[in-house]
Order: sequence, then C-alpha cells, then structure tokens
Amino acid sequence: MTVTEFVDGPLWYFALAVFFLGIAWRLVVILANGWRGDLSRPRRSGLTGSVRALFSRFAPAPGIGRRIGLHLTGGYLFHLGLFALLLFAAPHVAFYAERLSLPAWQPMPHWAFVLVSELAFIGLMLLWLNRVLNPVTRLISSTGDHLSSILTFLVMLSGCLALEQAHEPLRVLHFFLVEVLMIYFPFSSLMHAFTFVLSREALGYRYGRRGVPV
Amino acid sequence: MRHWWVWVWLCLGATLFPPVHAAGPSTDKVLNPGAELWNEVRGRQAAPATTQVQGRDSQVLVNEWGEHFRDYRRQRFVRYSGYLLAGVVSLLLLYHLLHGGLEVTESGRKVLRFELTERIVHWLLAGVFLLLTVTGVVLAFGRFVVLPWSGPEVFAVIASASKEGHNLFGPLFIVALLWFFVLFVGRNLPRLVDIYWLIRAGGMLGGGHPAAGFFNGGEKIWFWILTIGGLAVSTSGVVLDFPALVEGRNPLVLALVVHGIAAVVLIAASFGHMYLGTLGVKGSLEGMKSGLVDEAWAHAHHVLWYEELNRKAQAESSAREQGQ
Amino acid sequence: MAVDMNVFRGFLQQVRQLPAMAQPTECPDTERVAAVKAVFKERIDAGVASHLEACVHCGICAEACHFFVQTGDPQFTPIHKLEPLRRFYRREKGPFAWLYRLIERDIEETDLEQWQRLVYDSCTECGRCSFACPQGVDIAHMVVIMRRALANAGLIPAGLRAVEQEQGSQGTVFGVGPKQLMAAVEALRVRGYEVPVDKDKADVLVLTATTDILLFHDAMESTVRIMNHLGVDWTIHTCAFEGANFGMLSGYEKVQKAASERIIREAIRCGAKVVIIPECGHAYPAMRWEGANEHGEPLPFEVMAISEFIGRQVMDGKLSLKPIGKGRRVTYHDPCKVGRHGGVFDEPRAVLDALGVERVELPDNREMNYCCGGGAGLFVIDTAERYRALAFDLKRKQVEATGAQSLITACDSCRLSFLAGTDRTQWDRPIESLVELVGQALPD
Repeated sequence: MTVTEFVDGPLWYFALAVFFLGIAWRLVVILANGWRGDLSRPRRSGLTGSVRALFSRFAPAPGIGRRIGLHLTGGYLFHLGLFALLLFAAPHVAFYAERLSLPAWQPMPHWAFVLVSELAFIGLMLLWLNRVLNPVTRLISSTGDHLSSILTFLVMLSGCLALEQAHEPLRVLHFFLVEVLMIYFPFSSLMHAFTFVLSREALGYRYGRRGVPV
Repeated sequence: MRHWWVWVWLCLGATLFPPVHAAGPSTDKVLNPGAELWNEVRGRQAAPATTQVQGRDSQVLVNEWGEHFRDYRRQRFVRYSGYLLAGVVSLLLLYHLLHGGLEVTESGRKVLRFELTERIVHWLLAGVFLLLTVTGVVLAFGRFVVLPWSGPEVFAVIASASKEGHNLFGPLFIVALLWFFVLFVGRNLPRLVDIYWLIRAGGMLGGGHPAAGFFNGGEKIWFWILTIGGLAVSTSGVVLDFPALVEGRNPLVLALVVHGIAAVVLIAASFGHMYLGTLGVKGSLEGMKSGLVDEAWAHAHHVLWYEELNRKAQAESSAREQGQ
Repeated sequence: MAVDMNVFRGFLQQVRQLPAMAQPTECPDTERVAAVKAVFKERIDAGVASHLEACVHCGICAEACHFFVQTGDPQFTPIHKLEPLRRFYRREKGPFAWLYRLIERDIEETDLEQWQRLVYDSCTECGRCSFACPQGVDIAHMVVIMRRALANAGLIPAGLRAVEQEQGSQGTVFGVGPKQLMAAVEALRVRGYEVPVDKDKADVLVLTATTDILLFHDAMESTVRIMNHLGVDWTIHTCAFEGANFGMLSGYEKVQKAASERIIREAIRCGAKVVIIPECGHAYPAMRWEGANEHGEPLPFEVMAISEFIGRQVMDGKLSLKPIGKGRRVTYHDPCKVGRHGGVFDEPRAVLDALGVERVELPDNREMNYCCGGGAGLFVIDTAERYRALAFDLKRKQVEATGAQSLITACDSCRLSFLAGTDRTQWDRPIESLVELVGQALPD
C-alpha cells in the first residue's frame, strides 16, 4: 500500500471514527455528571437566559471590548475565515461531494478563497502570538493549547501550499494533517467548538433565573 | 513607460557588470541566414501585424528583452546575491569569533521595553518574513540549489508549494509592515545623537557605549532599510501577484528585478538584525519575548531612554504624593 | 449622616486583630488534599464540567478582574485561580481521566497553600470575569467551589476563619448577639421609634447585620422608620437577626447551613411572607439563592434586599419620597452580590430618581460594575489589605470621571471598603447608603 493509498483509505476512516466517537464520548461524559438542582425561587426564566447567553456571548461584554481588541480581531478573522474556507472553498466542496456523498453547493470564487485565507491566517497568527507572548496566556496555556495552535496552523499552511491543485503529494500532505487534527480534536481544547454551547447554556440558565441580563 | 528599459538596464547594472556571454569572442563576420528573419520578427512592434488572438502581448512574437533578463537572473542576480548573503554571514561569524557577544551584568530589576501589541506585531512581521524568505529563496535559487539534489519531480512539488505560499503570504507582509511602521516610526526618526553613535560605530570605536535613545543609530538604519526595502518588495510583489494590474510584460520584468534586489538586501540586513538580537547583544531577545529588559541592559545600551524612564517614574510618584 | 470615623478606625483595628483570635483547624496536613478532592467530587456537575471543558485559555477573564487590571500580574487571571479544580477534573472525572493521570501531575499540598492566597486574598467572587468570558465559563461559581474545598481542608485564612469560627460556635459576629441587638433597639426606642421584636406572628421578618449595629446606626434606624411608615406587620427576631453568613464567605458549609437554617426556621415559625435582607451584600445570595438549597426544599417566603424592597414600593407607588437630592449629582455602585449575582439593578435606581438626584452612571455599571474590592470576606482577611487598596483606586478614578459628588451604594461591605479607601487617601467624596438616604426622605 502506498502512502497516498493509506492516507486516502484506512487512515481517513480511522480519523473519521475517532473524531465522531471521541466527540460523542466526551459530550456524554460531561452530561453524565448530572445537574445539581436549584430550589431557589427564580426571578425570571432561566431558559430565556440560556437562549440569550448562547447568542449574546458572541459580542464582547460592555466595557470589555476596548481591552481585548487583539482577541476580537484575531478571534473573528480566524473563526469566520476558517468556517468560510471549510464550507465554501471549491476543493472542499468537491471533496464533500466526492467522499461524503453530499450534494455539491456553490463554492466561493477563487479570489474570495484567497482573500479569506489571508484573513484567516492573520487571525490565527495573532491569536497564536498572543498565546505565546501575553504573560496571562503564557501562564494559563497548556501544552495541549500550543499543540492545537500548531496543528491548525500546519493544516492551513499545507492547504494553501496545495492551492495550485497540480501536485498529488501536496494534497496528500494536507489531507494527512487534517486527519491528524481530526484524531487530536476530541482529546483537546479544540472541543470548545461544541462545549461552548453547554457552558453558555449553564451560565445563561443560572443568571437568567436571577434576572441578570447575560 | 516608453523608456522603461533604461531603468531595467540601470537595475541590471549593465555598465558595471557587462553580460557574461557578451564578453565571448564574436569574430564571425558571416551573417546568419536567418538573421534578417529574426530581426523582422523582433521588429514586429514597428510593423503592425494582425492576429486573431486577443491579448496584451498577442502581437509580440519574441520578447526582445527576455534574453537580457534571463541572463541577468541566471548569471548575475543569483551569483551576486549569493556572494552578498554568504559574505554577510561570514562577516558576522568572524565578528562573533573575534569579538564575541556583548553582555552586561544584570541588576535583576526589569523595565518594560516593548508593549504586548508591539511584540505581537514584530513577530507577525518576522514570521511572515521568514516564510517569504524560505519560499522566495526556493523560487529564486531553487533551480541551482535544490533541483540538483532533489530531482525534477520533487522540485516541481516544492516549487509549486513555494509559489503558492509566497503569493499567499505576500499580502500579509504588507499588512504586518504597515502596522509595524505605524507602531515604531515615532521612535525611529533620526536625531543628532544617532550620528555620534554611528561615528563611534555603536561602541566598536572609542570604547564604551555611546549614548542612545530608545533605538540607536544602527537600529534606526535597519528600520529604514526595512521600510524602504519593504515598500519596494511590496509594490513590486503586488504587481507580480496581480499581473493584470499592469500593461504588458515589461513592467513585470522591472518588478521582478526590483523585487529580487530589495529582497536580497532585506534578507542580508535581517541576518545582521537576527545576530544582534540574539547572540550579539545578550538580553535583547528577552525584550522582544517578555517585553522586559534588565535595567543594566537599558542603561548600557539605551541610556537616554533609561534616563527618560526614570524621570517619568519620578514625576508620577511625586504626582501621586501630591494627590494624597 | 456621616459615620464616626474614629469608631470606624477602631473597627479596622479590631479587624486587624482577627488572625490572632483564630483557632487552629482540625484537618491534619496529610488529609488536606483528600478533603479538597471530596468537595470537588461532590460539586462538579454537568454545568461545572462544561465550564471546565469550554475554557480555551484565552485570558479575556483577566481583563475583567479589578486585581489584574490594576496590577497586570498574570497570577490574578481568574481562570488560573481554578487550576486545582481543573486538574482534579481532568485526572479524576473527565472523559479522558485515564490519559491525564499519565501525563498530568496530581494536586499537592503546596499547591493548596498557593491557591489559598489566590481564591481568598485576591478574589472577591464578584463574577465580573464570568460576564466577560466569551465561552460562558462561570468562573465565580467555581471559585465558590474552590473555597468550599479549601475550607473543608481547613485552609480558610486566619482572619476570615476567626469570624467563621465565632459564628459557628457562638452564633455571634464580632461579638454581636441578642444582647447587643437589644441595646441598639433600646437606643432607637429611647428616640421614640416603635421597634417590634420577637413578635409571634408577622408578615415581614427584617434581618439586620453586625455592621449596622456597630457602625452604621442610621441604616438600622432608617429601616425601622421605613417599615413603620409603610405600616407593615413586621418584626426583628433576637434569635434570627444576623444576615451575615461567614460560613458562606469562608466556604465552610456546616456553618453556612446553620446560619441560614436559623433564619429560615424562624421565618417559617412566625409565618413571614417576606424576609428582608439588610444592606449586607453577601447576605442576599446566601438567603435568596442558596437558602433553599441549604434548606433542602423551596422556601415558603420571599427574600428581598432592603434596596429591592424599597425600590418596589417606590415603583408600585406605595412609597413617595421627598426630593431631598435636588441639584446633587450622585452615582450608584451596584454591589456585586445584589446586582450581578442578584439581578437587583432597577429598584435602587428608581429610589434614587424618586429622591430627585441627578443620577450619573459609572463608566462600568450594572452587571459590569467593578467590585469594591472588599467583598467575599476580603475585608476581614488582613493579608488582602493591599489588594483592597488597588480596587479602591480604580473605583475612585471611575467616580471622579463621572463628576459625581458622592458615591451611593446598598451594601455594608462595599461601604466599609470605600470608607477604608477614603480614610487612606483622604478622598473628599462621601460614601452614602441608599437606605439611609431614604430614611432622610420619608414624608413627615
């Protein structure tokens, strides 16, 4: 079996399995902790609070925004860029259609693809540099956090190096790194892509009951 | 743009370095039978012809200056920039072996030299610069340095990756450079004390450290090399990244020449910067990592800045006392 | 009326003596880690787990913390204060515990001493970080768990422990018991006020606080006058008058439960429909949000902060006040425990508007208001004095930016912290209590 065959075949299915089973397992274990009930009399609906918190936390809290310009710029550029690339880059759309049998949708034009990559790169680099250079994040970051940054960077870098789509080895390299990232994902803080919902819900519910705008 | 070739020629340094192949003996007086035909083909611009191909260069059959450019790129650019880079590295090595790095006895007290944003933007610029250097060197020198040992198949992959990476990261360099310029230009404006610093060669002549402000004369020169060189690589880079912006092939040649020369100058200068920032002056790297430098370091290398810091601290504490 | 600053300074001296009065704790050194873990294990539910799982270590919480904002010291990063909890979760409860037990070291006793300083001395559980976190991580909620765990391991700082032990063993706070309460009541009666004490049946059970009895006499007087003015069927009870709950502040659940239970029992016995909490910040969440959970079933009465109670009366048109504040520019400091943790924002503002003052908001206000720096028991932790000063300097700057002539709040703890700061820096703006102002504005 050649390297290409291995990356395209067994490793891909293994990565898929680890990715989905890992995520499911992690969410199940979190929820299995159960909820400590609250017997206090609510002032307002906790449910409304949790729905609010789910969306309100996309914007910085009043008065905090001016202190976290770098987080905001980097965070938004990276995350929006990443989602746009993941969902609308032409090679990705073709991939989903071919390998996951999804109906193909309209990809973004090449110029947008390039522009979005640039923005996503700036965002990721700002976040990563902040993690390494800011005394606060230096103190609280774990090896896992740094690994997440490096892996994400390598995936994006290999993707952009393969942009010409003319050389099989570059595609295989990109795909291999994606698989490594997928295997790493459920074990890492990258899981925040899912857990943020639970966390915001819990907070929104707690303070929503108390009538505090979350 | 009519006389664009004058500029190209100046850049190529033809007067200083006559083309290598032109130096060969050319005693053959017999005319090549095809010469007239080729002259005609070259002169097509003078005699309009028709073609069904629609495009900017569709009337040009042979690019008159292509051969000159090929010659410049292969014979001169690669050779002389190789000399320059190797020379700078050797000089730095020699200096380090003879002189060694500068070191001051630490006081243990730290002062803030670079704010978080300044550090982040510095390393953003440095990171993008490094990526562009690596990919750019592969594109410029790969044929001579990488290809011989990698073989054509592997080199094709590396070259394609480098081209895509170089094109993609280029615009990021412009963003980082502009941001960097805005943050640091104020402290890099020339002052009289810099001239004195430069005359003393930063302390290599006359003994002891000459006085310097937040940045010394040498750092300021690096800043302006970076700014002007960066402007040159950026503008020429934009032309190369988006060829549709210009008319015809010749501006692209000019851009390529400017891009190469400016990049090599930047890379050579960055070697000096990297040496001085790490081995050359101990404690400097820490200033760009944590933002903090030792007071003794500040006093030794940037005494005017250090004194200003102290004055500010004193003024603040007395203002606080008055306020209470 | 201003507080007698000499009495106040004496009170401060008394606070500084507290550590000397603390008794040694029962937990032997070797069992501390196990004691901490026992609490962690019990308290981690799906909410806490998802908070711990959702954190990406972005550091934004630091930008919300008054201690970090004032010092820039990364030690004060709120999420960092939870490191032992996070480590326990990953190693012993999380989905990949088997993996983390191999690669991450266990909690050690020395860690606990370090984190004692972080969760007691330099955290007021104000919760501003929870409101800044983009992931919705409720850091303050988990600091409470950290404190409970450390308390269980006998690691409450001496000053706070002394008060907790006093309340736990004698039921008094700063030596204030039924006798001292009755002395204060008598003083009010002498001045002609009717003060119903120990009534068998009453609609409203009014609590007070040690600080009101020792220092802020006017707050108690105003409360009495307001209740009488409204014609409410109310009482104070000598067995259940203390709102302060140092069991909750220190994290020692046994004492917290006993203190709450004492009030709940009495309120139920006298058939109270409402229990009114004095201007004692933490007393509000202790009864309003945690009371039922400590009690084990929903409370058959309503719990209201005095500022909330008066505000509702004003908003419902049942209480009209004299506009004594005409022409005065004031600003309101939302006590964290009543505002951000309690949802009481509009009521005190309605009261201020009824007083006719020109009300200006602090640059950061309501649920994003900066803490006074002395909450969560920090006021009685001697080693936290320098941190309190930092928080005051921040508040002072913000108040001055509004151009307000005085700073009004509805929490004794905030008031104590501000008074200490005022005294230290000779600040010229008065610190006023909302309930006292209302007392002055009651119609004749």
